[in-house]
Amino acid sequence: MRIPDRRFALLLMAPAAVFLAVFVAYPLVRLVTDSFFKISPIVGGSREFIGLANYAEAFSSEAFTSAGWRTLAYTLIVVSLEFALGLGMALLFTMLGKQSQVWRTFFLYPLMIAPIVAGLLWKFLMIDNFGLVGTLLHQAGILSDPNQIGWLSDPSIVLFSVAIPDIWLTTSFMCLVLFAGLQNIPGDLIEAARLDGAKAPSLLFRIILPLLRPVIAVALVVRGIDAARAFDTILIQTNGGPDSASETMSLLIYRTMIRFGDPGLASAMGTIYLIAMLAVAFVAVTTIWRPGKDS
Amino acid sequence: MSAQSTTKPDAGQPATDYRPRHSGFVSAASHLGTAGQPAPELTRKRRSRNREGLEAGRRSTRTLLWIILAAALVVYGFPFVYLVLTSFKTPIDTIAVPPTILPREWTLENYTSALGRSGVLASMINSVQTAVISTLLSLVLAVPAAYGITRYKTPSGQVFIMAALVTRMVPPVAIGIPLASMMASAGLADTPIALAIAHTTISLPLSIWLMASFFEAVPRDLEEAATVDGCSRLGALWRVVIPVVSGGIAVTAIFAFLASWNEFLFALLMTAVRSQTTPVVIANFQTQFGLDWGSMTALAAVFSIPVILLTLLLQRKIVAGMTLGAVKG
Repeated sequence: MRIPDRRFALLLMAPAAVFLAVFVAYPLVRLVTDSFFKISPIVGGSREFIGLANYAEAFSSEAFTSAGWRTLAYTLIVVSLEFALGLGMALLFTMLGKQSQVWRTFFLYPLMIAPIVAGLLWKFLMIDNFGLVGTLLHQAGILSDPNQIGWLSDPSIVLFSVAIPDIWLTTSFMCLVLFAGLQNIPGDLIEAARLDGAKAPSLLFRIILPLLRPVIAVALVVRGIDAARAFDTILIQTNGGPDSASETMSLLIYRTMIRFGDPGLASAMGTIYLIAMLAVAFVAVTTIWRPGKDS
Repeated sequence: MSAQSTTKPDAGQPATDYRPRHSGFVSAASHLGTAGQPAPELTRKRRSRNREGLEAGRRSTRTLLWIILAAALVVYGFPFVYLVLTSFKTPIDTIAVPPTILPREWTLENYTSALGRSGVLASMINSVQTAVISTLLSLVLAVPAAYGITRYKTPSGQVFIMAALVTRMVPPVAIGIPLASMMASAGLADTPIALAIAHTTISLPLSIWLMASFFEAVPRDLEEAATVDGCSRLGALWRVVIPVVSGGIAVTAIFAFLASWNEFLFALLMTAVRSQTTPVVIANFQTQFGLDWGSMTALAAVFSIPVILLTLLLQRKIVAGMTLGAVKG
């Protein structure tokens, strides 16, 4: 009478699996199918099979390749700055110990803020003329003119500027994860290294970082994936401009689909983007993370 | 990559075995989690052990560290404070050159004009509705699935949890359009239910991962005792295991709620006037009415502050969940 455990487990998982199949896997199948068609954006419009032509168009378009490099650059900027700042804060909190607990909580608050709000807020801070950042730097004597740096209007630095809200929002996450990892390093080990005469830099690079490696890997992979998909903060700050200088892959696909009304081409771009993400994540997981290596 | 070795990642480890042992995402995550909620006595032990290690002892060093921390917190906290201060300025002062930090004249004008605008209050109701439906849907699907994965450790379960991880890599922009047209053909276009389903595609994988790490911590004897007493497996899950992990369910619910509340791209693609959520309305202030910074900051404050307060109230649980899931909220 009793259902075998195996089947019982399957039954428990079935609803979630069906949900993901219908609402994630099926749309993905449609995405890939659409990428082989020339589709008119009008409802009930024509569909014409054109094979790999959309892919050829994507790869030969300058907008696509530069959006790819921009997405990579954006991800590297966000993840590396976040990691450096997050590690700094995690070490600071660890060195101050229990007394800093209240402030650790306070440090988490940006995680609750919507990316769209963060993007708006930083746009307001960095905008030309009445932006506070330029004014404060001017008053501090660093800039000769509050508008000397066109944070969001200068194509050569805009990719960095649009990354700021993302960094501000999620450095807390990096800090939290690294802090948790630091708590697992036994004090005796640090003591022993100190007795052997290890100075702070070698303590950090020879002992702390190697021990944190698995934790660092999780944090970098998770945040890297998120950063590579960034959309809200960039859309609200610059809409990809000026001169497409902050147009990352998500934005380009969105604009190709909505503004330029070419769902077929957008689907091809989306497919390439997805495959690239999976490939990079796979390489990252197998090389940095190396799951199973220690067990 | 298996999750076999994930049971009790720390508990049995001798003190000298400092090397974190990981075999995969779950174990890494649950390992991290020991600094948070699920094992309070362990946390205390670790902290006290750590105090002799990395914690700074000398007074001068500590003073210097406190100064650095204070500076970092001011820089980190200031942007949002500035947003709130700006929301109390008069509309002209919000774009004054040069800008001032404090309002020259305090006023609620921005709040009345933002909240009085048509569609704003409706969007807040939509946001609440969408987030609540999505949270419930996530929990109903994730709790049994995560239990099936952790308790029975079947190969299909391992495949499933990896598939859930892969789902996290799918860019929303890639599935947004097909999803929107699916909803339209199901007659659900521009409804909170359609958007809630879309949001659940984001929160479900996260919820499964979180719940799996919480179930991992429940001793198996608990249900075994219940089944011996004549409980069915489902009955044991419902009456014995669920009450034990209720804290974990709360954490998962908060994450699912936040994911939906703050989501923008699906909301932009899938809603028109009727079911628009607040993030879309905030973004629309920018184009539709020119650059009305005053109203925008006021609405952003109204939208963000309840969530920040809620999470500060529940922060211990949230910290645990954050490190367990190792995923941005």
